[in-house]
Amino acid sequence: MTQWRDPAPGEHEAGDRTWEIVRRAYDERVRVPHKRDWRPVVAIVVGVAVLAAAFSPPGLAVFGSLRDAVRGAKNAKPALASLPAVGRLLTESRAGVWVVQADGSKRLLRGYRDAAWSPHGKYVAAVRGSELRAFEPNGAVHWSLGRTARISGPRWSFDGFRIAYFSGATLRVVNGDGTGDRLLTRDVRPGPSAWQPGRHTLAYVNRAGNIQMANVDKRDRTSTVRTSAAPKQLAWAPDGRRFIAVQDHAVEVFWQRGPRIGGLDRGAATVEAASIAPDGKHFAFVETKHGRSSLRLTGLLGGPTSPIFSGAGAFANVLWSPDGRWLLLDWQSADQWLFLRTPVKKLRAVSNIRANFGADPTLAGWCCP
Amino acid sequence: MAGSPRDERAWVRGAQNGSVSDLESLFRHHWPRAYRAAYLVVHDSAAAEDIAQEAFLAAVRSLDRFDRRRPFGPWLHRIVVNRAIDWSRARTLRREAGEAGIENVAAAAAPDSPHARSLAEALAELSPEHRAVIVLRHLLDYTPGEIADLTGLPRGTVNSRLRRGLDHLAMRLGEEVQ
Repeated sequence: MTQWRDPAPGEHEAGDRTWEIVRRAYDERVRVPHKRDWRPVVAIVVGVAVLAAAFSPPGLAVFGSLRDAVRGAKNAKPALASLPAVGRLLTESRAGVWVVQADGSKRLLRGYRDAAWSPHGKYVAAVRGSELRAFEPNGAVHWSLGRTARISGPRWSFDGFRIAYFSGATLRVVNGDGTGDRLLTRDVRPGPSAWQPGRHTLAYVNRAGNIQMANVDKRDRTSTVRTSAAPKQLAWAPDGRRFIAVQDHAVEVFWQRGPRIGGLDRGAATVEAASIAPDGKHFAFVETKHGRSSLRLTGLLGGPTSPIFSGAGAFANVLWSPDGRWLLLDWQSADQWLFLRTPVKKLRAVSNIRANFGADPTLAGWCCP
Repeated sequence: MAGSPRDERAWVRGAQNGSVSDLESLFRHHWPRAYRAAYLVVHDSAAAEDIAQEAFLAAVRSLDRFDRRRPFGPWLHRIVVNRAIDWSRARTLRREAGEAGIENVAAAAAPDSPHARSLAEALAELSPEHRAVIVLRHLLDYTPGEIADLTGLPRGTVNSRLRRGLDHLAMRLGEEVQ
């Protein structure tokens, strides 16, 4: 049966294409040094600590520190005094949208939700009532657009000339100056969308759960990228050549029009959110499993997945600072934000987030040097 | 490129130490059979490329932790075959669900080689699980015991799938298949 040895269709070409991808993944992988297995030692130490806690006052202090770890990072600041890196933060709560400056000063834009920075952080698009509004961070409104269906998820294109948003179960596009509002498609699942850097091409999720790419200026230019499960978040690498799709239990990495070039299957862990580093080589993601959450870092084209921080309860989101030197982790259940210097050298914790920003605070963006 | 077990261990060691040429040797040696195995299970060249590519990317991700005493091939083939089975099942489910648009992305391969004309067509009439066992046995040359280890199936199940699959191929291709 000599046909077993015959090449399959496309075998050589696919091999050449794949070798380039594998070689890049190899170049960009995050190397993990071989480590000694410390688990037996840790188990003994923990055992001793438990016994000490049972029988001695100093041991009770050990329980105290464990309790603190469950509650959040120790020595957390009671309020955000300043950001550790350049840029401005956008955060939301039931009270509205907050613009937080690098020096820690903040302004509440009451009643707004679903906020997004414009490309250079000069404007914010957000929803108030049944209106989509574009305004300056000081609150000065430039234009507004009303629709009868509920508006959500506005996103600015790379140049600020287009804004995509959901209106009910449809996806619409409006020019950055508020003109030219038009329907893009009804074949959409409202939720995730992401503009490709450098183009007026929008990635979104169609009703079948696959990713649809559409050039909003050239309606015939669409393509479909299949996914194994409907994504809940989409994000492009800054070079616009690759993007990630976050699913409930996986993160998939694609070339700009497919195919899938990598990703992570996280098994029983639930992936909450992911964020691509400004250098486009890595992405950070947060996941939850059995009541504990982890922040991890991995290469966009493969490489080991390195744990950065883990803790009890829920991590809701993670953002990179605009200079790519810090990660901001929303430790929701501990009511804290953690600023982690990467590679991890420092940790700054801020507590009382709900007291500072209002109920149900969420991170919306960290923008612009 | 001889590809003996000693060569393979040397390539893995070299790749772990940063040698791109050793990584390429490892890749070039294993790519044809990995791609072919995926293709014969999924019958879709784009999907086969995705599957084999993902397996190699997984290998690169795990390279620093890979135990050089273990053979590389079975580890890679296990990933390829399992993902190919998963992909085939998912496609079947999507077709059953009547999802539109799958044809856009699952481009059928042009019948430009003997695989597409006969062997692949005969294999396509089997279930993905049967195809996988046949491919592991006849393309990748694993023994039934090794296939049982790779797939986690009981040895008896492997043997029965092999027998049934080979009977089918012999009938379709008009030749005795051992």
